[in-house]
Amino acid sequence: MQTPQELLKLDNICKSYGQTPVLKNINLSVYGNEFLTILGPSGSGKTTILKILAGFEEATQGVVLLNGQDISDMPINRRPFNTVFQDYALFPHMSVRKNVGYGLIVRGVGRAQREKRVDEVIETVGLTGFDKRLPAELSGGQRQRVALARAIICQPRIILLDEPLAALDVALRGQMCKFLKGMQRRLDIAFVFITHDQQEAIAMSDRIVVMRDGEIEQIGTPESLYAEPQTRFVAEFFGENNLLDGVVHSGDGTWAEVEVETDMGYLTCKSNNTATAVGARVAVAVRPENIDLLEDASRGYACKIEDIQYSGATYIVELSLQKASQIKLKCRLHGSRLPPALGVGDIVGVTWAPGSAVVIGKRDA
Amino acid sequence: MRNSKRTDKWALWAVSTLCLGIPAVFILVPILAFVLNSLWHNDAGQLVKRLTLENYVAFFTDEDMRKVYFRTVFLCLSATVTNLVVGYICALYIYRQKVGSRLVLILIFTLPLFTSYIIKMYAIRGILGHRGVINELLIAAHVIQEPITAFIFSQSAIFLTLVVLYLPFSVLPIYLAMERIPENLRLASDDLGGKESHELKHIIFPLSLNGVVVAAVFTFVMTFGDFVTPQMVGGIDGYTFGRIVYSQFGVALNWPLGSALAVILLATSVVVALLSSLLLKLGVSR
Repeated sequence: MQTPQELLKLDNICKSYGQTPVLKNINLSVYGNEFLTILGPSGSGKTTILKILAGFEEATQGVVLLNGQDISDMPINRRPFNTVFQDYALFPHMSVRKNVGYGLIVRGVGRAQREKRVDEVIETVGLTGFDKRLPAELSGGQRQRVALARAIICQPRIILLDEPLAALDVALRGQMCKFLKGMQRRLDIAFVFITHDQQEAIAMSDRIVVMRDGEIEQIGTPESLYAEPQTRFVAEFFGENNLLDGVVHSGDGTWAEVEVETDMGYLTCKSNNTATAVGARVAVAVRPENIDLLEDASRGYACKIEDIQYSGATYIVELSLQKASQIKLKCRLHGSRLPPALGVGDIVGVTWAPGSAVVIGKRDA
Repeated sequence: MRNSKRTDKWALWAVSTLCLGIPAVFILVPILAFVLNSLWHNDAGQLVKRLTLENYVAFFTDEDMRKVYFRTVFLCLSATVTNLVVGYICALYIYRQKVGSRLVLILIFTLPLFTSYIIKMYAIRGILGHRGVINELLIAAHVIQEPITAFIFSQSAIFLTLVVLYLPFSVLPIYLAMERIPENLRLASDDLGGKESHELKHIIFPLSLNGVVVAAVFTFVMTFGDFVTPQMVGGIDGYTFGRIVYSQFGVALNWPLGSALAVILLATSVVVALLSSLLLKLGVSR
């Protein structure tokens, strides 16, 4: 993506049902051809955002801008977005062909042109030969493709996908992830994808918006969310993490190295958070794969090995701090990095590279 | 474990026997009795148990009876079609309201079902009758000089009454079919650029057709068998097939002929029901 062009903007969107707020001050941009995933647990408000984009729901406050123009009051059928519904919402009485062509039928596109375009789209999603079937005669993955074909035929600016993989079994889900990502690249339009599954999000997205309790926790590339979570929630939601509570001991608080005083003594950590002023209560996040074990317990923090689990490519070692055994750590090592003489009950030294630990402001501790 | 399984089996048996047995005893057996009765000979009110087809022959050779039969079929078909059109519009109107007010409206539309048939009939007579509301209004408006009989004691009176009486039986199944259409399908139609007219034509209408078929079968079967309405508002002109069947039992005391006519009535209803579902299958193109 060179010079990403802002296509859509949610400006300070709030939504409440009666007294219950479901979205609080959502500010979000969608760029011209990105794969944007809105990720969050159920009840986080992610589907509400999609409904407001599609026009199914009205925001209580704030505006939706398309190329700078307010489209908050634009009726559903005039918006240049199309939706892939969670249950696909295929028309059960229509063949695949009619389902796919629906958007053209209602636009009054002539028969010859319509049939040609339907054939193209059916081929694009790989359903050639299935066009006479009814939705009930298709597998889950095929229905998914019909839903996508039906959505892309009108050449929308954005495709909105509401947890479309939730109904599929795990094996198919991986396959459909690849398919969707491939389609998005090929069509070169924006996909806004809703999911609660971080694996799906990481596998497909250019950017991920992490939602929690109606608010945006963090927006970023999958890599940045994994490597530099800004909140405790993000740190724990993406993969496994060790979180150690502490107080900032020194440092300048802006993209600098700070020392965090924890029960384990001073840890030198990279700070990505401007809120880490000296004396602030924070947490330090260390990924299990960034932890090294040393046979010499006097180097690093002395820890006792509580358990070792072998999981094929890696060993997962559970540790507890010797000075404070209530503090547990998890470490993931490739077989070659586990010193062979070590076993459960041994005392080892635990270290990590200073740059691989991240300081998280404790606003949601 | 094994014991509870056996109990389950027994329970299943008991339930199936009840579910299949009750209809068998109270529906199938009487029908079979009719069929059997229709094959006996009638000797001046005396039932002679000798197998014969003469009762059926009587129907097919009696021109008056055939005339009444076809006139009744036509009458009931027109009442049915009228009810389907009016019922569909009513059902659609209810469906388009907010969820909360739908229930109230459905209650209002089905309120006639809560009152007695006879009361409804007298109410309708009060409206359509010789000195009924309509005639009085027309006279007051100087449209007519004296009461006219177009509304009472005629085939058109029966038609009007059947339409009014049986409307709830159209509204209800059609509305229920509409209500079963998932909300998402309508949203999808909107989302793909469809207007309300597209939604009605491509989504709501085809998906509520099964309700229309049920309504059609309900209305036709009930109107075709109805003999009270024609008697109450039809007068001498309003002779229908149902009345003939009734009179064979109540007046002429010719049970075998009455049974034969009842079997023909039943067969007609079954044919209409089959035709309706066939039409539904043909009507839904992929």
